[in-house]
Amino acid sequence: MTDRRPPANGKEADLIVERVLSDALMVSPLEHHRRERLRNAVMKEWRAALPAPRTVTWATRGWWFGFAAAAGLVAVTLAILLTAPAGDSALFGSVARLNDGGIELRSGWFRSHTLQVADALRVGQHLTVRGSALVTVPGGGTLRIGAGSSLYIAEATELSLERGLIYVDTPLGLTPSNPLRVATVAGVVEHSGTQFEVMSDSQAVRIRVREGEVRFSSASGVVDAGAGTELLTMSGGQVARQTIPTYGRDWLWTAALAPDYDIEGRSLMGFLQWASRELGRPLDFADVHSRDVAGRTILHGSVRGQEPLDALGNVLATTTLTYELRGDTIWVHSAR
Amino acid sequence: MYEEDRALVARMRAGDQRAFDEFVNASAPRLMAFVARRSALDVASLEDVVQCALIKAVRNLASYRCEAALFTWLTEICRHELVDVQRKAARRPRQLSLDESAATRLAVAELRVPEHQEPAATLDAAIRGAAVMQVLASLPESYFRALEAKYGDGLSVDEIARELGLTMIATQSLLARAREAFRARWQESSDETHIGASPL
Repeated sequence: MTDRRPPANGKEADLIVERVLSDALMVSPLEHHRRERLRNAVMKEWRAALPAPRTVTWATRGWWFGFAAAAGLVAVTLAILLTAPAGDSALFGSVARLNDGGIELRSGWFRSHTLQVADALRVGQHLTVRGSALVTVPGGGTLRIGAGSSLYIAEATELSLERGLIYVDTPLGLTPSNPLRVATVAGVVEHSGTQFEVMSDSQAVRIRVREGEVRFSSASGVVDAGAGTELLTMSGGQVARQTIPTYGRDWLWTAALAPDYDIEGRSLMGFLQWASRELGRPLDFADVHSRDVAGRTILHGSVRGQEPLDALGNVLATTTLTYELRGDTIWVHSAR
Repeated sequence: MYEEDRALVARMRAGDQRAFDEFVNASAPRLMAFVARRSALDVASLEDVVQCALIKAVRNLASYRCEAALFTWLTEICRHELVDVQRKAARRPRQLSLDESAATRLAVAELRVPEHQEPAATLDAAIRGAAVMQVLASLPESYFRALEAKYGDGLSVDEIARELGLTMIATQSLLARAREAFRARWQESSDETHIGASPL
């Protein structure tokens, strides 16, 4: 089939190469209706992903509007000066996600408004959380707040849980010099690099430790609790201790509020370790090969908005690995 | 190095409609061609792959770190979408009854060759195109990308240089080496397989 003529000279050969490449690589242009359909679909997602507008375009208003705005600004400034909370107003964290109802904020004597995503939380604020919320704290880590909780930010690293349920996640590698303290009616919870949950109401306080160790200080004394431990304080001051699993249905609410993990350009191993922490299940590999694959696979794309277990399945589906939940462990092995 | 791409992404993140249009107009046709060259998908499936990739991209503009050209970043997302589609297709039952559904009958009807195409010529072009892609795939990635940008996407040397983060001279040199490498492999391929490869 192939002609066995000797190769053409350089210039002629280049022309033939160019023709062969052009013939093979040129693709029919994208039809107009397809391009429009594609554009509209992508544009809808792009617009949905944009942050809510926060600024006013002054150029479109009349000059009189500037005067009105200036007068308003003076009034707002006076109001803030009159109602600002006493003392320092250091940053505590910022709102990363809100579900069903948001956070109502009260600070100073009269100020009260509803927080939005990306709003800052500052010392001196009282928060009432209508739905659940995710808060990121400076230096790394998150605070997840259950619906119906009420808390007060006492200091940049201390909050008082008046009522409700919170989950503190400070990865071990990100342990700050002044870790977060949680004050309750029964005592104060301190930790150094851990995941734990505190539930408080007028009758009792429950502390569940998922990773690391916490110290609970109360009028009755000091109690240390490690991972897989639950402390329950009763009104008389006694502290009951029991062993609990670090995974399962009791922790599902924390997974639903897990911060998004950006997989783009990161290793599969890093992602698996994140999923392991979020699910409270240790990671295990079937063999050295599976571990090596996880270590050298670099991920692309996104799992934004997906809960850890969904993200785990979806990410592994794009690799040669798969997983099983074996007892308390995430067991990773080759898909073949 | 990729300041134009960085600026475009920043404008998009700020909600600039013109930046979005520029982004889609520049990337959608090239991504369609990119996926078409690497798969045997029909045009509707190609559109789905590109749409999914672009949606993932616009949802995650913040993760574009300017370590490569924006289009290169998009092609990486596209590659994963394509793998996903192919993986899902491989999991589907391999044998289907042709009278299973109206959709299947319609798809079979659409398999007929359009009247304006010569079947033999179409088949020949398809075999030749696949052989070229096979040879290109055996070349270093930088060669493949340069040749694809030049002869597939019709970019100028200047545009390719910007996309690859190279100088004009380095890009011209790269293209010359890529052509030479392709020519040598193509010759070897035609000697070995005797399918449709032109002698050079």
